[in-house]
Amino acid sequence: MEAEGRIRAVDLTREVRSAQTSLFGDLGAAKNRLRIISFDGRFGLLRCSHDRTEECRALLATVHSVGGTRAAIRVRGISGTIKAATEKYIPQSTLQPDENERRVDLGLVSGSVVRVHGREIDLAPDDQKITEGSGTRYVGLTSFDLCGEDIDADGTSDGL
Amino acid sequence: MTYFECNLHTLPDGSDSPSRMALAARKLGYSGIIITNHNATVPPFGSDGARLAGGIEVVFGAEIVAADQRAVHSRAASLRNKVAFIAVHGGDEKINRAACEDPNVDMLAHPQGGRAGIGVAAARAARDNQVAICLDLGPMIRLRGGGRVRWMEAVKRDLDLVRKFDLHLMISTGAASHLDLRSPREAMALASLLGVERDRALDALALPRSILDLNRRMWASVGVEVL
Repeated sequence: MEAEGRIRAVDLTREVRSAQTSLFGDLGAAKNRLRIISFDGRFGLLRCSHDRTEECRALLATVHSVGGTRAAIRVRGISGTIKAATEKYIPQSTLQPDENERRVDLGLVSGSVVRVHGREIDLAPDDQKITEGSGTRYVGLTSFDLCGEDIDADGTSDGL
Repeated sequence: MTYFECNLHTLPDGSDSPSRMALAARKLGYSGIIITNHNATVPPFGSDGARLAGGIEVVFGAEIVAADQRAVHSRAASLRNKVAFIAVHGGDEKINRAACEDPNVDMLAHPQGGRAGIGVAAARAARDNQVAICLDLGPMIRLRGGGRVRWMEAVKRDLDLVRKFDLHLMISTGAASHLDLRSPREAMALASLLGVERDRALDALALPRSILDLNRRMWASVGVEVL
């Protein structure tokens, strides 16, 4: 799950259920037999009928926001059993939000850093108008945009 | 297999920088993305960062937003030598027709936006001028209920025409944020619900690559190449 904020399992269940009935109707939903087994806020496990995986992939792709927060479901993989899926696809560590507020100013867009994950940076823009067209809350940047070929004081080259 | 995402919007049209879009697309399994912003500035915002992203090809194209047919033709002619990929912001019946009649145009984006679709005359023109029709999956992801039903009806009409005239088809999510992106497999699963077979969907996702290759060669005039 990729999202702009915290996602609750209840909201996810509701959203997946509504996407399912919206796309396939009650009859199709009964045939998919899609259920959410577990969800920890970032990784989750779903069960579905084994011969309808592509249908389920499509319906998960139509989820664009969960409980009012912009989000996207990414399918990491499919397994035959819950045990195998847990071992293969659910990692144990989770991502922490960025605590020390850092500022970014690129001319076109400026704001404070919300979250850093590898090279990816989520930025809360000062001017909310910039994200109006896409309906997101944050601006997605990378360390490449901050142009960090020089080594910074913290020993990294992320330009922060 | 090469997959290309051919109709993306980055800052200032969307909310992501080109490099963020590139990293997200690479993670999803794309081998290249084409950024088609409405106001193509030179140089595009974040093009340096996009070059550093690595592992994925980032192409800057342009999407023409025009009020009338004449504007489509003049914008396409002036952009042809500046960018590698030209899309037209479709949706209006007249604009769709004008885009299909212009050989400078590579792709007609979201022709079903205003529920207009392409229509028989435009489809015939698109075949003659080799303009690809883009199946934009954005509404399928964003809309629910009646709006999506009407959009699906328009798409079905257009896909019938695409099949009848054997038009070039492209598939895109029209993403304006990394959260809008979907992986090639998800795009194919969505397209198959709309009646696009797997082989056709594979071709559609690989087509931008071959069009870019064609565009990058030096053409002196129609059918004459500078070697």
